[in-house]
Amino acid sequence: MNQAMQKDVQNTAKGRADEHMVELATFYVGDALCGMNILKVQEINKLMQMTKVPQAPDYVLGILNLRGQIVTIIDLGKKLGLGETDAQGDPRNIIVNSQGGYVGLLVRKIGDVVEADMTKKERPPANMRGIQGEFFTGVYKTQSALIGILDIDKVLSIED
Amino acid sequence: MDIEDDEILQGFIEESLEHLADIENDLLTIEEAGAAIDEDLVNKVFRAAHSIKGGAGFMGLTAIQELSHATENVLGLIRSKKLIPTPEIVNVLLLASDQLKQMIEDVHNSNDVDISPHTGPLNAIFESAGKPEGGAKTPPPQAAPVLKPAAAAPPSEPLAEPQEAVDAFEEMTDAEAAGDEEEPGQEDEPPEEAAAPPVRAATGNAATEQADRQSPKGDTSIRVHVSLLDSLMTLAGELVLSRNQLLQTINSGDFRNAEAVGQRIDLITSELQEAIMLTRMQPIGNVFNKFPRVVRDLAKKLNKTIDLTIVGKDVELDKTIIEAINDPLTHLVRNSVDHGIEAPADRKRLGKPETGLVILKAYHEAGQVVIEISDDGKGLDGDALATSAVNKGLITSEQAQAMSDKEKINLIFLPGFSTAKQVTDVSGRGVGMDVVKTNLDQLGGHVDIISEVGQGTTISIKLPLTLAIIPCQIIMTGDERYAIPQVNLEELLRIPAAQVKERIERVGNAEVVRLRGNLLPLIRLSDVLGAPRTWWDDESQEFKEDRRESIADRRGHESSLLGGKSAGKADHKKEKEVAPRAETDRRYMAASALNIVVVSTGAMKYGLIVDRLQDSEEIVIKPLGRHLQQCKGYAGATIMGDGRIALILDVANLARMAQLTSLDGSDRAAELASATEEAIRAQKDKQALLIFRSSEHEQFAVPLNQVERIEKIKRDDIEELGGKRVMKYQGGSLSLLRVDDVAMVQPLADHDDLLVIVFNIAGHIIGLLAIGPIDAIEISSEIDGVTLQQNGIMGSTIIDKHTTLLVNIFEMAHTLFPQWFEGQENFEPEAGAGEPPTILIAEDSHFFRNQVKGYMTEAGYQVLEGEDGAEAWRILQDNQDRVAIVVTDIEMPNMNGYQLTQKIRADARFSRLPIIALTTLAGEEDIAKGKAAGVDEYHIKLDKERLMASVHQFAKQIR
Repeated sequence: MNQAMQKDVQNTAKGRADEHMVELATFYVGDALCGMNILKVQEINKLMQMTKVPQAPDYVLGILNLRGQIVTIIDLGKKLGLGETDAQGDPRNIIVNSQGGYVGLLVRKIGDVVEADMTKKERPPANMRGIQGEFFTGVYKTQSALIGILDIDKVLSIED
Repeated sequence: MDIEDDEILQGFIEESLEHLADIENDLLTIEEAGAAIDEDLVNKVFRAAHSIKGGAGFMGLTAIQELSHATENVLGLIRSKKLIPTPEIVNVLLLASDQLKQMIEDVHNSNDVDISPHTGPLNAIFESAGKPEGGAKTPPPQAAPVLKPAAAAPPSEPLAEPQEAVDAFEEMTDAEAAGDEEEPGQEDEPPEEAAAPPVRAATGNAATEQADRQSPKGDTSIRVHVSLLDSLMTLAGELVLSRNQLLQTINSGDFRNAEAVGQRIDLITSELQEAIMLTRMQPIGNVFNKFPRVVRDLAKKLNKTIDLTIVGKDVELDKTIIEAINDPLTHLVRNSVDHGIEAPADRKRLGKPETGLVILKAYHEAGQVVIEISDDGKGLDGDALATSAVNKGLITSEQAQAMSDKEKINLIFLPGFSTAKQVTDVSGRGVGMDVVKTNLDQLGGHVDIISEVGQGTTISIKLPLTLAIIPCQIIMTGDERYAIPQVNLEELLRIPAAQVKERIERVGNAEVVRLRGNLLPLIRLSDVLGAPRTWWDDESQEFKEDRRESIADRRGHESSLLGGKSAGKADHKKEKEVAPRAETDRRYMAASALNIVVVSTGAMKYGLIVDRLQDSEEIVIKPLGRHLQQCKGYAGATIMGDGRIALILDVANLARMAQLTSLDGSDRAAELASATEEAIRAQKDKQALLIFRSSEHEQFAVPLNQVERIEKIKRDDIEELGGKRVMKYQGGSLSLLRVDDVAMVQPLADHDDLLVIVFNIAGHIIGLLAIGPIDAIEISSEIDGVTLQQNGIMGSTIIDKHTTLLVNIFEMAHTLFPQWFEGQENFEPEAGAGEPPTILIAEDSHFFRNQVKGYMTEAGYQVLEGEDGAEAWRILQDNQDRVAIVVTDIEMPNMNGYQLTQKIRADARFSRLPIIALTTLAGEEDIAKGKAAGVDEYHIKLDKERLMASVHQFAKQIR
């Protein structure tokens, strides 16, 4: 019992430290290195065969069947105003759960998982390699690169 | 208010609503019973109110508790027979239970609701009847008046006394209440609570306004019977076992076993699916139960007496459907009560029972649920509806005239139509039936009205059992599959390439297809969806791009101008500019047959042109993500057997997207109808002709139905033997003739390539030599049988500005090979049998009449002629002893062939008179119609052989 309590205390202590530490899944949209909280990611897939949806917004590539769920695939590059993602490279679908439904984000390339201290997050610039600043909650500097932390819910919100 | 446990609260809400649903009907029964109180029933209601009170107290919902307490008090008096439930008292109780329901549905704001309008009268009733010494067995007269000023009821007076009454009451009921599972502690609170209302009422008014932002009815949970859950668990267990088996089988590579496991999983899955569907099923009684109250209240308001009979409460429907039909059904029932049933005085005058009858009925039929709302009221007067629609400018008077009774009745579904002469607050605000219909359409339902003036109206609604799984027709367009719900599907139509030109037409900028005499607007799926137009090439098994502008475009380019005009096609014009004309043009490909899916969405029907038709499948609807909500053309998506997704089409929205709205559609249909009416009428007497030439400058034609084949030959193939021209044909010799052999026309042109038109006459095949160009056309212009008539030529007509001679191939054969006809001609009227039989010919076309008359007189019959059915009927009556056979055309003015036949058959004198119908219409439907009318034989116009053969046969029978 005593041990268990100790463990609990440790856990909470660790949890407190972790509040600032977030693992970021990083990926490339165009030339920009972006990241999002890895807990938001359901899974990452290769580009599968999709069903085109005529009359859909141009950034919607199509829909696909993910184990019985209909998932809308969005070309993140196009959605953020960077133009179409090249299907020839190594594009991946990042499946996220956003506002009650699964959405797939097509990105040019997947990067590493980066552990980031959110206290060191900085305010986003007005524009980051062609992407408007409003889509970022902030930027995080690592030794080698600058990661724009995407506000996925904002990116996926539907403008009127 | 602090509600700690959502789950308990949710449970309370559900339970209370269930109680309330019962209370309403029970109260009505109590009202009906009057003084003869059914104690069990009153007890039941009492306990329900009590349970709600208890629960509300526990949850801290003071207003609900208080109101239910007041209700309970009055019920207690009724139970103990201290109070007789008059309609007034029941009314107060009903109103209170309504208020309770509202408060429970919006439980979070319930404490802010002003309940004094209800507690006031309730307490007044309780007070006046409850005093033991008062001993009022009948309701106090002031009880009713209290109803209205109740809101302003003096707060202090009624409050002080009830406390005592309540205390006494509590004692009375405690024994009873102890049996309930509610916390006994609750009972003690009410007196204090009862004192509170005035205070709360003051603060409450302001609060209710804020509380207007009502949370949507939180109907997110459902009650399922435990036995059903058990069976679900069992099935889930089975599924897990099967999965284990499957994994094992796969690992061991035992494929024979795999089949067995596959079957097992198949079975379990379907069972599981069924069981899960059952959990969503609810009895339709949930909706029906509120109608006794609705009808009662309404009837009272309108001073009508109405009985409501409900049949089939147990019929189960999917939860979502049950929820969605509530409003449409309410509207329909109210309509029946308000507009359908007459006032008692009127009913008496009409010899009907004063009490009107409304029947609400639900039953299963053919995998669907049918709900019928019928009344024995005044019914719908189609003509009155039509007049009203014309006055409102919804339709034109010409349209109205052309409408059938049923169509007129269906006018009430038009937007902006309300039948009530005066708009009442009961039903009818000008929006009504169209909304009902739209709602039902969305559910995949179907509304039908049967009505007879003075007898009543029956509205029947057909609904699918569930919305989750629907049968669909799978189609393909542009390499993608789409599903069209079967409920929207009317029929599948394939127009062979050869007929595309004649069956698809353009009227204005709309493309239409002629379907059994009606015109059906067409929409091309690829156009509406903005996908590139494609077509399926059977040979290469792939989709190819389509560059035609107009469907009917098989020859010319002129219609592309028309295509460019319509807004919807603007982008395709662009596409056309980009794409140069292809060398292998689709227009000449056999594969360009059109696949049309005829769909209907309530008010309108249209044809959807798709590339390929596939199977019909049962599919599971899955919603589309929110980024695709703006795509109105889809009702959802489904996953096909191969794991890919097919979109489900929403045919109503597709029509809207193609700017084919229902009113528009009917307008357009009317426009199309009038524009093509002439054409249709003319078409009935159309004659299909094969046009050819013999010399370069003379154009000839023969009726197409006489032609067997057309052969291409070289001049060298012709052999001249014994003064006759022959050629080898199908292992024998074919006699060849030329038009100029018989008729005085220019000689056959001296070409190397010739055509032989092969005929079969009197059992012999003969060939007519001709040169091109040949074409098959339909004409409706009058044939002149006089001016250019000569031996071998039956007359002339104008085709494409050319005078065309109609070749009479029988006459030619007769002239050249008289021996062929000898055998036949001999069996015409034998001498000695007296008068030759008389044949009556009814035919409006002068030309055809003369032709037929010619055949008959030639064969030795006597002939009487009538220009239409009516005239023929007159002649027949004047010559009833002479006429032996009637030969009639079908399409005639005044009286058509069917009518003439019916008239003849209806007359005893002529019941056995042979009737031969002669027509260009020879579809199976026409033949069946003719046979039904009493036609003995059916012949294609101017097939002389057959016609004469049957005339001879009938003539012989008569002898």
